[in-house]
Amino acid sequence: MIAIGPLLVILALLGAPLFAVIAASAMLGFTREGIDLQAIAIEFYGIAEMPILLAIPLFTFAGYLLSESGAPRRLVRLTQALLGWMPAGLAIVSLAACAFFTAFTGASGVTIIALGALLFPALQKAGYPEKFNLGLITSAGSLGLLFAPSLPLILYGIVAEISVEDLFLAGVFPGFLMLLMLSGYSVWKNRALRAPLSDSSWKEAAAAIREAAWEIPLPIVVLGGIYSGYFAISEAAAVTALYVLIVDVIILREIPIRNLPAVMRESMVLVGGILVILGMSLASTNYMIDAGVPQKLLEFVSQMVTSQLTFLLLLLAFLLVLGAILDIFSAIVLVVPLILPVAVQFGVHPVHLGIVFLATMQLGYITPPVGLNLFIASYRFERPIIELYLSTLPFFVILLISVIFIAFWPALSLILLS
Amino acid sequence: MDLNRPFLSRLDRAGRAAEDTVLVVILTAMILLAASQIVMRNFLNIGLIWGDEMLRMLVLWIAVAGAIAASRSDKHINIAVLDRFLPDRLKLVVKILVHLFTAGICGVVSWYSAQFVMTSREFGDILMGSVPAWIPQLILPVGFGLICYRYVIFVLRELVRLVGSKPPK
Repeated sequence: MIAIGPLLVILALLGAPLFAVIAASAMLGFTREGIDLQAIAIEFYGIAEMPILLAIPLFTFAGYLLSESGAPRRLVRLTQALLGWMPAGLAIVSLAACAFFTAFTGASGVTIIALGALLFPALQKAGYPEKFNLGLITSAGSLGLLFAPSLPLILYGIVAEISVEDLFLAGVFPGFLMLLMLSGYSVWKNRALRAPLSDSSWKEAAAAIREAAWEIPLPIVVLGGIYSGYFAISEAAAVTALYVLIVDVIILREIPIRNLPAVMRESMVLVGGILVILGMSLASTNYMIDAGVPQKLLEFVSQMVTSQLTFLLLLLAFLLVLGAILDIFSAIVLVVPLILPVAVQFGVHPVHLGIVFLATMQLGYITPPVGLNLFIASYRFERPIIELYLSTLPFFVILLISVIFIAFWPALSLILLS
Repeated sequence: MDLNRPFLSRLDRAGRAAEDTVLVVILTAMILLAASQIVMRNFLNIGLIWGDEMLRMLVLWIAVAGAIAASRSDKHINIAVLDRFLPDRLKLVVKILVHLFTAGICGVVSWYSAQFVMTSREFGDILMGSVPAWIPQLILPVGFGLICYRYVIFVLRELVRLVGSKPPK
């Protein structure tokens, strides 16, 4: 019996679907405790008892639709018209556009595919060094997951059972800190490259705004609706999905109706992949909480560290390793229920923990050897993976510094909370 | 398992079409129902009592249907860091074992989900006013059964490849 645990880990590392590994460990636990295995179905059925989960398929679908439409091109044009006049303007444009886009598409790697294809050649043409461009696009592909209404924020709120609205507020300043620090680096690195001021004009800005007239109301309606309390999160998701569907398919006709099933299918493969892990981990988490795993974890951690400071350091180290091997969604559903009680004991606010957790996991996207964005970029730009390891390194260091700021400066996350 | 045989390839194609149709129908229903709930609540001050319950069922259904679709091309979220260091033939053997494990687990989950559905039927739970709860719950045994079936097919396919491939000299 004892050998089964490590065996499951090995199966997972050999590529077994995570949901199956989690289901196996949950059922193993149930068997040990003499609980009928129907429990796995009962726990999985819990998916049908969380109204907010509705937001996940709807936002994901809207994000996939947006990335298939002309929205990425319009977004780049708009940000360029508004920010392009700055030194290293195009680099900042790239960061801002990626962050905005990721917030709406849920950090699933589509940002690199949808926006990278536009920004990378533009950066090359503008004379930025190739290594810088590769690193910038690859790291920017997960920037913005601290901004509402990103999927990881919603999922963390669900799993930690705290208000998603609070998380949306808490992510604002930490998200901007990351954006600012990366922008600062880009400006310093490319201070010689400055687009002539004449390239950015009021005329171009007005034209870009006109062109993006259908997309501009979207964040205003969604975020305004959520923060003013007019919409619940899942309602905002429904409005977004329907709005994007009508605009891109019926009004602008950028996505032919015959392509819709493929977009729906592709987005729901991701949703199914996330929710099936969530469902199985509802079972395994319940078992682990019954078995007192969080308490044991707390005792174990308390032996090693006593202050909040050392706890946070340990947490950061742990999350960095976790982020390198586990994707953000699985990490949230598997790990948050276990570390949240421990973190609270050390005086870490659950909302602050969420922001630290996601910010660190964001680094996981570009952490070798298996960071998702590294592979997507390697595939998309046809570059060897080693080249991407090297080109993202400076960006990794800067993001790491910003994560340390976020971790040790709780007020940055909590100041907007009432 | 030779998928070029007419019967099997037709079955496979029909399965794919059915799967896509189910996904499109559920997602479309979800978007329309969720949006109309908002309109009715805010402008007409009414709401379908069963609407929210139905939406939650649709989330369960899309979760399982999406998981079935993900298993079609083995696109489930995984960690897979060790397998790339294995030699080709061993990699194939490992793949067969991993698929066999997944098929087995899904089979067990499907079996106990069926028990759960039967229990729920005995209790006679009712959803959305008039629908017996066990009917929407059927997605669990059926869905995991289908995922199990997919991975059994993967096992057979890789076995054929393993037997067909020449051992290294």
